Amino acid sequence: MMESGLEHQIFAPADVLAHATPDVLASHLPAELLSKVLASSLAAGAMTPERVLETVTPELLAKHLPHDVLWACIAAAAARAGVTR
Amino acid sequence: MNVKSFFVATLSSALDLGLATPDDVLKHVTPDLLAEHLPRPLWARLLTACLGAPRVDAQLVVDTIGVPNLCEHVPAPTIWRCIEDIGARALGGVASVAIPAAPAIVTRTVPAAPPKPLAVSAPPPEEKKKPAAAAAAPVPAGPSIPAPTTGGATDQPAEHDSSENGLAGTPLRPRTATSQRFRQTNTNIGRLAASSAARRPQAAVPTPVAPVSEPATPASHVRRGMTESDLEMETAIAPATNDDWKSALAVEDEQLIDWSGSEELTATNENDPRSRKR
Repeated sequence: MMESGLEHQIFAPADVLAHATPDVLASHLPAELLSKVLASSLAAGAMTPERVLETVTPELLAKHLPHDVLWACIAAAAARAGVTR
Repeated sequence: MNVKSFFVATLSSALDLGLATPDDVLKHVTPDLLAEHLPRPLWARLLTACLGAPRVDAQLVVDTIGVPNLCEHVPAPTIWRCIEDIGARALGGVASVAIPAAPAIVTRTVPAAPPKPLAVSAPPPEEKKKPAAAAAAPVPAGPSIPAPTTGGATDQPAEHDSSENGLAGTPLRPRTATSQRFRQTNTNIGRLAASSAARRPQAAVPTPVAPVSEPATPASHVRRGMTESDLEMETAIAPATNDDWKSALAVEDEQLIDWSGSEELTATNENDPRSRKR
């Protein structure tokens, strides 16, 4: 679902990080992923949601982050699109 | 001993003074180490700062985490390696070379180990050329007492004063036997009253019968400004010191001079060119 929503632009990477906050990422992502996120950001000179999701793929998000966080992201995108009405 | 506080102070001052840059810190404090040792709340703060900042660099990472948190959570050997590199670079690479240079300092102290002898107790440099004589010399009795020598050089106050006036480091001239400075005790005026055996030979052998003047002056010469009569008076005084002076004064009538008829002496004085000038 996360990968499909991003592919079909139901939600954007920023919408993902709006729910998967840094606290959530820092609390649930493993150390190697955090290291990769920081290293890639330092190498690029900036940390953007797109770059974070390039490192922390939807599969990894679904693997490490709590599912209610990911579900809230999907539900919020559906509400914005008017699907919930 | 609080090593972490020391690291915090050192690293903070190095960053403040420009001796170190945040890139130097992240060369050692890599993202892997941060991910392994940094607490997750700090990671959350870091991610938040990075996502909100237009540029992510080492300065941002270090400022966001903070030096105290880095030194608190990152292993001490890692922080020490960072400080070591900063110090080595600040000193121009001397710090890493100073470790093998430490034994060189120890070896320098070894040649300085033999103590320099004191000036009074040490033999003079010239005496080292004569080891046999130096070995025969007795050991000095004390630091300020010169060693007794057979050459009669113990009465040299000049060398003794130079060693006590702070000139201990200056090389002293070798002690040489000097001539007798003062008259010996048996030559003073009291010798006449002390003993008659120490008299000189011409006084010890008086001959009352012999003429007084001629034998006592076998090699007398008339010097400039003197007359033969002066010599006769000198030779006549010497026997007067004899004990039996009465016998020495006993002269025969033939030796007496008739001064009343000494016109010849007056004539000679008139012929003297020096008396004409007067």
